[in-house]
Amino acid sequence: MRDTIRREIEEVFRNVFGDQELVLQESMTAADVDGWDSLAHINLIIALEKRLGVRFATAEISRLKEDGQTVGSLLDLVEQKKRA
Amino acid sequence: MLGSAVIILIPSLLLRQTLLALCNFGFLASMVSGTAAWVALIVFLASGYLATRLLQEFPRRILLVTYLCALVLGFIVIKQYAFLKPMLPAAIVSQVVVVVGLSYMLFRQIHLAVDAFQGQIKSLPLWRYLNYQLNLFGLTAGPIQRYQDFSLGWDRLQPLRCDFQSVTKAYLRVFIGVIKIMILAPPCLEVYEAFARTFLDLETPWKAIAKFALLLYLYPAYIYFNFSGYCDMVIAGASLVGLKMPENFNLPFLARNMIDYWTRWHRTLGFWIRDYVFNPLYKAMVERWPGRALWLALICYFIALFLTGLWHGSTWNFVVFGLLNGLGVAAAKCWEIILTTAIGRQGFKKYMQSPAIRALAIVANFHFVCLTIAFFPADLERTWGILKHVGALMF
Repeated sequence: MRDTIRREIEEVFRNVFGDQELVLQESMTAADVDGWDSLAHINLIIALEKRLGVRFATAEISRLKEDGQTVGSLLDLVEQKKRA
Repeated sequence: MLGSAVIILIPSLLLRQTLLALCNFGFLASMVSGTAAWVALIVFLASGYLATRLLQEFPRRILLVTYLCALVLGFIVIKQYAFLKPMLPAAIVSQVVVVVGLSYMLFRQIHLAVDAFQGQIKSLPLWRYLNYQLNLFGLTAGPIQRYQDFSLGWDRLQPLRCDFQSVTKAYLRVFIGVIKIMILAPPCLEVYEAFARTFLDLETPWKAIAKFALLLYLYPAYIYFNFSGYCDMVIAGASLVGLKMPENFNLPFLARNMIDYWTRWHRTLGFWIRDYVFNPLYKAMVERWPGRALWLALICYFIALFLTGLWHGSTWNFVVFGLLNGLGVAAAKCWEIILTTAIGRQGFKKYMQSPAIRALAIVANFHFVCLTIAFFPADLERTWGILKHVGALMF
């Protein structure tokens, strides 16, 4: 399940950041992806919600952009939402 | 400070919480005066608690929207905004109620209501809710702490007693805060007031420009020393009793644009506005009109920062302050979009990494920030007079 989610998230990242070469690693942070600022973050959330059929809470959206949060944290959260 | 020294010696968590709660309520009692203020405060807290619990049990959108509208309307009536006064009934305008820390309690209450509705607040005992809202380390002027972060500290409330280095550092920071507030801030304000009073008498352009430059720098310096000094004291004071308050400043005058600035100056306010105004507004608008995301982003940046400006005070000068901040952040995003379109993402990355451009951007943004803060003093007529006088002498 995690691999499928990772592939879907990767595709969303590629579309949002306009980089078809982008390969996601779980340890990646916002600083590792060119253009991942606050506006791109909310665009990413909107695209993820549409693609994966999940909804993120306000607190979750801001937490995902905090220091120490990684692509792995996003995967964990999506996986948790998919299981619920 | 005395409380923090005593709290270190108390072994039981419950007793430490009780002592801190007594300090919170004692501080509140010393700040609130008049029956009307007490009634308003009790109504605000009781309705806030009940509404949050209700939203936990019944997370209905209609409940949330109704409560938030009532909350914001109540806030606007109590604050008596100058531009709304002509529309308010005379009976309300004549009733002046000053509730200490109301503006910050409003932020915490909106956060609680939204998070409860979205299932992000699992437990909300009344005792913890009251101490969260009335926490003396954030009551009068922030920082705006999230309930989840407050709960982590409150459930442990482990004072800094074993680590000598951390305790020394905390007391040193309190001392630095006192120096900023007592020694550095007052002369900035005194000189500013003296210069501002006599400014219109100046006749030669060079004298006027030199004094104008000083006026432009002195008020931001005063606010920075005063507010960051206060934050130093409350953050360090809170750490002594075992509460971790969020940082509110990160070298704000080194911001390269207004978006960057609001992640460095009064950061907890900037982040709150981003999370509870900009994000939901932008998200709702983009979901409705997906093809117009860039324009919508600019509009939302403007609205979010304009509201931030308005929140700062109820007089007309804060309308101008809000307009300038709104325009500043929208212009920063607009510039970024133009550059990215013209030179591509890689070109923009190089632009951002250039030390010369960075230095230039910092200087330009610093002066724009100073211009926005020029509208902080309530006497808008005097500020306009100064700006017009400088303009007339120069051109």
